[in-house]
Amino acid sequence: MTYVDRPSVPNVVKFDEPTAKKRNKLSLMLNTGSDIYQGACKKRGSTLKDEYRHASGTAYMDPKDMAKLGVKNWDKALVKTDWGEVVVYVAHSRDAPHEGQIFICKGPWANVIVSPETYCCCDPTYKGVPATIEKSDEEPLLMADLMAEVYKKYNENETSTGNRLVKIPNNNASNYRS
Amino acid sequence: MGYEEPITDYDYKVDNCTCAFCGCNCDDLVYLVKGGEVKGEIKDGVVVSGYIDGGHVIGVRHACRLGASKVMEDMDQRLLVPMIRDEKGNLVETDWDTALDKAAELIANAVRPVFYGWSETSIETMHYGLELGELVGAVLDNQATICHGPSLQAVQNAGYPVMTLGECKNRADMIVYTGNNAMNSHPRHLGRYSTFPRGYFRKRGRFDRTLVTMDPRYTDTAKMSDIWVGFEQNGDYEFYNAMRAVLRGKKLEKDIISGIPKEDIEELVEEMKKVQFGALFFGLGLTHTLSKQRNIDIAINLVQDLNKFSKWNLIPMRGHFNVNGFNIFMAMEQGFPYGVDFARGYPRYMNGETNTIDLLTREEPDVFLVIAADPGAHFPSGANRHLANIPVIQIDIHWGPSTELADIVLPGSFIAVEAAGTSYRMDGVPIYMKKAISRPKTTRDDEWIVNELLKRVQKIKGIKPTVAGK
Amino acid sequence: MEYILKNGIVYDPTNNVDGEKKDVMFKDGKIVDTVSPDAKEIDVTDKLVMPAGVDPHSHIAGPKLVVGRLYRPEDSRRGIVPKKGVTRAETGFSIPSCPATGYRYSRMGYGTVVEAAMPPLEAKHTHEEINIIPNLDIAPLPLFGNNWFTLEYAKEGNIDDLSAFISYWLRLVKGYGIKIVNPCGGEAWGWGMNVHGLDDPAPYFDVTAREVITALAKANEKLALPHSIHLHPNDLGHPGNYETTLDSMKLVKGISKNSPVRNQTVHMTHIQYHSYAGTNWRDFKSAAPDVAKFVNNNDHVTCDVGQITLDETTTMTADGPMEFDLHQLNGLKWANKDIELETASGIVPFIYSGRNSVHSVQWAIGLEMFLLVNNPWQIFLTTDSPNAGPFIRYPRVISWLMSNKRRTEMIENREVHKAVEKKSTLATIDREYDFNEIATISRAAPAKAYSFTDRGHLGIGANADIAVYNIKPNEIDPSIEYEVIEKEFGNAAYTIKDGRILVKDGEVVKVVPSRTLWTNVNGIEAEEEAVIKKIMPSFNKYYTIKFENYKVHDHFVPRPMAVNVQAGKAAK
Repeated sequence: MTYVDRPSVPNVVKFDEPTAKKRNKLSLMLNTGSDIYQGACKKRGSTLKDEYRHASGTAYMDPKDMAKLGVKNWDKALVKTDWGEVVVYVAHSRDAPHEGQIFICKGPWANVIVSPETYCCCDPTYKGVPATIEKSDEEPLLMADLMAEVYKKYNENETSTGNRLVKIPNNNASNYRS
Repeated sequence: MGYEEPITDYDYKVDNCTCAFCGCNCDDLVYLVKGGEVKGEIKDGVVVSGYIDGGHVIGVRHACRLGASKVMEDMDQRLLVPMIRDEKGNLVETDWDTALDKAAELIANAVRPVFYGWSETSIETMHYGLELGELVGAVLDNQATICHGPSLQAVQNAGYPVMTLGECKNRADMIVYTGNNAMNSHPRHLGRYSTFPRGYFRKRGRFDRTLVTMDPRYTDTAKMSDIWVGFEQNGDYEFYNAMRAVLRGKKLEKDIISGIPKEDIEELVEEMKKVQFGALFFGLGLTHTLSKQRNIDIAINLVQDLNKFSKWNLIPMRGHFNVNGFNIFMAMEQGFPYGVDFARGYPRYMNGETNTIDLLTREEPDVFLVIAADPGAHFPSGANRHLANIPVIQIDIHWGPSTELADIVLPGSFIAVEAAGTSYRMDGVPIYMKKAISRPKTTRDDEWIVNELLKRVQKIKGIKPTVAGK
Repeated sequence: MEYILKNGIVYDPTNNVDGEKKDVMFKDGKIVDTVSPDAKEIDVTDKLVMPAGVDPHSHIAGPKLVVGRLYRPEDSRRGIVPKKGVTRAETGFSIPSCPATGYRYSRMGYGTVVEAAMPPLEAKHTHEEINIIPNLDIAPLPLFGNNWFTLEYAKEGNIDDLSAFISYWLRLVKGYGIKIVNPCGGEAWGWGMNVHGLDDPAPYFDVTAREVITALAKANEKLALPHSIHLHPNDLGHPGNYETTLDSMKLVKGISKNSPVRNQTVHMTHIQYHSYAGTNWRDFKSAAPDVAKFVNNNDHVTCDVGQITLDETTTMTADGPMEFDLHQLNGLKWANKDIELETASGIVPFIYSGRNSVHSVQWAIGLEMFLLVNNPWQIFLTTDSPNAGPFIRYPRVISWLMSNKRRTEMIENREVHKAVEKKSTLATIDREYDFNEIATISRAAPAKAYSFTDRGHLGIGANADIAVYNIKPNEIDPSIEYEVIEKEFGNAAYTIKDGRILVKDGEVVKVVPSRTLWTNVNGIEAEEEAVIKKIMPSFNKYYTIKFENYKVHDHFVPRPMAVNVQAGKAAK
């Protein structure tokens, strides 16, 4: 079967990277895309499940960056860009080395922070978005909770509290719902 | 994941099924089906015509992890009955007539409807969708708008030297993957089409070929390659220009270009010139970075220039199994590949204007129909935000992120498993995907759903049904 | 439903009706000799009546077209017409969308079109487009000239197996006849090479165009297919290529035809592109007189012209190497599409201009061919659409053929380059076509070449495919009123297809789905089975698609018109 709890990742994070200087916040480049765990989980349809949160809601990092930030596999981190912020897991990237770059699989988590700017060519800028990452104690949200919190579609009275988007929707659902 | 016993407790086999996942459209899958009753012919346990009523696919042979996961779907999240949002914002089950009437009413009264998706359904369904779109003046767009749209623009700028995958399999002695991690996104691409298979002129398979990967990350594909070119993130444009300059006999003035020493570039270009047949496969790594279509312009120009020395072709690595199909379908029907706006009674195609993301960020649409796609999972929130403002109609098979934003949910059927239909592979080879088992009784075929919407909108608008294009 | 077309001036060359004033009657989609008094009368007094047009060679459906539309939105934007009445929106000029293709052919009074190149692997795609194009009967020709199995059989000289292979494949992909494009050159293009002339072997396969053409022509006649081999010879568009053209025509001279309808054993397509003398573009000149002379002396040949119309157009052909050369020449965006085991193809936009000496001479060569071939039954009206110009220019070509005055004007007013006078004989030819000859080259003769006995003429029992034009043949002088000729041939007063009025006064008033013409060879099923068994291991190894998924399912051919042929026995 293709079900997994979470993607398998290398488990060789070196916390004592001699050249690394520990920092609370790193500035890096955000890259998004797909990998096989995300693809399998999404297209199987298991998006409400914990598996999807781990497959899509994980920032894959270079071990050196992990050392600098002082995080280990499946710790949690807050990623911020000009477009929003989201809490995700962190894990050792299978594609390392790529120091200075994090990879988050496409999905609701990455969506919050990528740039919708198409520069008039129809395609948003999914890759190469400047971002910061810092350690967090918050738990990444499951898909349904994330969608509810981010878009607040069915919560008309909600104001901006807790919204992770820089700009919130002006929900006017009452205009069309009978 | 440990060892798993082979599946033996199946009742029937269905051969030569087509995988409905990525643009590889592997058509050699064997579905192992349990239960049900064969409606058709059966020979030695293999269903040779017809389908199995009430059967379940419990195993798939030949498929990759992705294909297998899709075919043996997660039934927990299968959408089975139509649903409409109630006052409190909860999806409640309803009957087909109510749901369809409500959806048709929204579409018929819309000023700027957008019909997005289509890449995971059949060409036959698109026929009805297009007719509906022309009727109400909708914008029809597909996933190309967020994946290979820039590739198509580059094709419009620079040209389109392509081939079918068999050309690569039989002839290629150099394979280049750029901005694409085929081992993760198209896992059988290397094994079935490009690198490993033994072709007519490449009898030893992998040993007769050089595999090159160009990617900022050391991906699973890069790990299998003979040469990995790890240029910098956002450095693609500069890198390809440097390659092209070298190819045209220019001296590079910088020592390091996009993180790659100039000697390496010169050596690589020399290699590429020397091969007999080269194949370049490019993916979203090129279309999603800053230079977007310009990256691909240069890649195409590079391939064209290489043809002065040897034979080179390219293929964009299309993601969904029918994303190419929609582009082909729209082009044959109305002359433009995607993002076609019918608001004015004739097709209008204007990149950056009539595309879904741009429309949504400008908050223009007033009804959004999403079929066989998942904007909730794949649009930037800056675009999705507008979906919270407007009614969203979803036709899909699984409860996904888009369902969380949907107001009307119409459960469709699974093309290539529960419904037959035509699809186009990434290289444009059409495949008729067959039906293996019956769909859940309470769902409907996509074709039927869209046709029903069309009929109901026609009724609201007081138009007599015409013969569909097909 | 019965109709009577009253008092038209009828041109029906097949039945030797040359401008007679008479009634044409039809009932239930067929031409009849009497109708009841209830028949609906359509008054066409003194107007030009012809059978509906038959286009023997046009690229209107298939993967090439879609690549063209995908990568040339600038062409799609040219020719946009909003939806109106029964018609949907139209797009495109040289590569119109499928609905536009159907409407535009209908407006010109055409009823049947041969799609000239269908790669078997992507035949489903071609058929999908045929189903979207309205108002026509379409016969697709599958490409066999660079097919690996063909190459092998040709090398062995195994005509029996080749015949069985072709007969099976025609059924598999629902094709009408054998198309050959740059034999061996397409395979060489797999390695970025080309072949030159008939005796330059394809790399590795070591077989020559001479062998391939001969083998396919023999197989064609052995099976008694309704059409002859349809040959796009080697060296297209190269100065000096007329010798290859002559050689190719000589090649099949000894093969006797096996058909009661057609006369030819080879159809040479877009002959204009193959009638060049000289050694380079500088000393390039017309060789049309030589080629025409050969055609005049040999009735085993028919050709269509591929007339340059001096437009911005899109060239597209299965001749991949030629398109790359063209791209090198004009620098416009190059598309290429190689199909595994079967064929190559390429696409390049092209701007044919009267200011350019080469283009002008090409224009003159086409007209020379029309005017120097004496027998209109051997030369057909085409522009190899969209290669030399879009098919909507047929009326203009007709006006050129009917008016020496117009041709002289173009040459003298320098609408074309002065090279035309030096490098071709066009200025010295004053022949003008009459309506009967026009009806022959655009209707009767192509129908005969394809053994279409149910169309291309107005005899009893034929399909009621009729075109009426607002031209009064007894009053007009086409030589002077060439503009009227062009306008009216482009806007039929009536186009009738299978007894249904599709066009009235130049407007499409009815849209019906198209049908697919294909050839079903019977009688050698056992041989076919044996051949398929033999080739199956190669098929499975080298194609990337399963045999079961290769065929064109009936789903894609909902309205087939099978032409049944008894293998080896010429049909009635």
